[in-house]
Amino acid sequence: MIEVADLVHEFGDSRALDEVSLRIDDGEFCLVVGPNGSGKTTLVRHFNALAEPDAGSVRVDGTEAIADPLAARTAVGMVFQNPRDQLLAATVGDDVAFGPENLGLDRAEIDRRVDGALAAVGMAGRGDERVAALSGGEQARVAIAGALAMEPAHLVLDEPLAGLDSRARTAVLDRLDDLSRDGTAVVVVTHDLRAFADRADRVVALADGRVVADGPFAEVRDRLADIGVDLPGE
Amino acid sequence: MRAVVYEPGSTPVHGLDVRAKLGFQVGFAVAAFAEPTPPRLAALAVVAGVVLALAQLSPLRVLRAYWPAFLILAGSPVVNALAVGPPWVRPAEAAEPALAVSRVALVLFVGAAYVATTPVRETRGAIQRHVPGRAGQLLGVGVALTFRFIPVFRRDIRARFDASAARLGDQRSATDRAGRLAVAGLSRAFTRADRLSLALRARCFAWNPTPPALRFGRRDYSVLVAGALLALSAFV
Repeated sequence: MIEVADLVHEFGDSRALDEVSLRIDDGEFCLVVGPNGSGKTTLVRHFNALAEPDAGSVRVDGTEAIADPLAARTAVGMVFQNPRDQLLAATVGDDVAFGPENLGLDRAEIDRRVDGALAAVGMAGRGDERVAALSGGEQARVAIAGALAMEPAHLVLDEPLAGLDSRARTAVLDRLDDLSRDGTAVVVVTHDLRAFADRADRVVALADGRVVADGPFAEVRDRLADIGVDLPGE
Repeated sequence: MRAVVYEPGSTPVHGLDVRAKLGFQVGFAVAAFAEPTPPRLAALAVVAGVVLALAQLSPLRVLRAYWPAFLILAGSPVVNALAVGPPWVRPAEAAEPALAVSRVALVLFVGAAYVATTPVRETRGAIQRHVPGRAGQLLGVGVALTFRFIPVFRRDIRARFDASAARLGDQRSATDRAGRLAVAGLSRAFTRADRLSLALRARCFAWNPTPPALRFGRRDYSVLVAGALLALSAFV
């Protein structure tokens, strides 16, 4: 479970997050939406201690994230918005193995996780390919595989479908559904609800660093339209 | 950590002509690099403080933005004070390098005030107006690209650093992390450079574009005179 209590994050004189409180339960499929600059990405960076609260707290499975970043980062997998920024090895297989190696797993387990993660994003058998030679969409899939291979208790994805073709989008969405059903909390940051609205249990909407709507899509739909979020079917 | 980059504003320093600011900086640097006596450095520290206050730039922000440079500067007196053998630490030996590096630090503070208050295109315009021919064009473009590229490059490195930390990369040795960041950073820098080149060509890059309007007013003359007086103080 991820619990955010009265979280404040400031950039100089401006507040990116202004006393945000929310709770994300295990197995929940949660969307975080809002216009540009609403604080979505800043919020999820707190989930695995990549940002430090100016006030308030973020607890992951009962532990203060900033007090134990290692525990937070083991529990929360993160896929960033730009895949090119998060690929850290020369080949696909080495990159996906980067996280499991840091967990100190044995080689057989690492290989199993790498193969499973690559299969989940439709890239089975491509572990020896050079990362730099992949297209943008393929790099995005490798970035997702890198997070999946950590087998985190909670998975956060920032605009995970950007640059993916329809087949890759379906593969990723199905995998996220599976993870959620298996008890992994899935948090997706997105501008665009169309791909996710029918899959998510809940939508959290931010505007100007504050939570302005929180609930099942059908219940918050009108409020989302008010803050300029693209809605399905419009 | 926020980099010091140009931010629009209405401070007295924002309102100055870029040439007055450049002239003042040169004067300040000449004064700073004269004999580094404590009274001279104290006086220059006051001047730097006034410049930062007028630019509404916090010295703490400058320290945070340029911390690697300040760390290296601070290292010099420390290294000089250490000895291989008793008494191991000789504080008196640190005094001279401390004074020497202080002047570099002061120039950094004043330079940061310039960066925070001056649009890149004005710097380029001033250089191309006053350095004739191809040399001025190259210098102008070089300065403009450097100012634009460095913050982007820093953001890229930061993003890689965060991505590594998110997958527990900080459990690896410093050498391993530094190697990965260096390779990834270089690769990203080349990709960025390619894209930048493409974008410049797509928007009709010109070696000699229409320069921004520069206006040298009464206040600018006084700032230039202040810079000249600072430079002269080096020879007194």
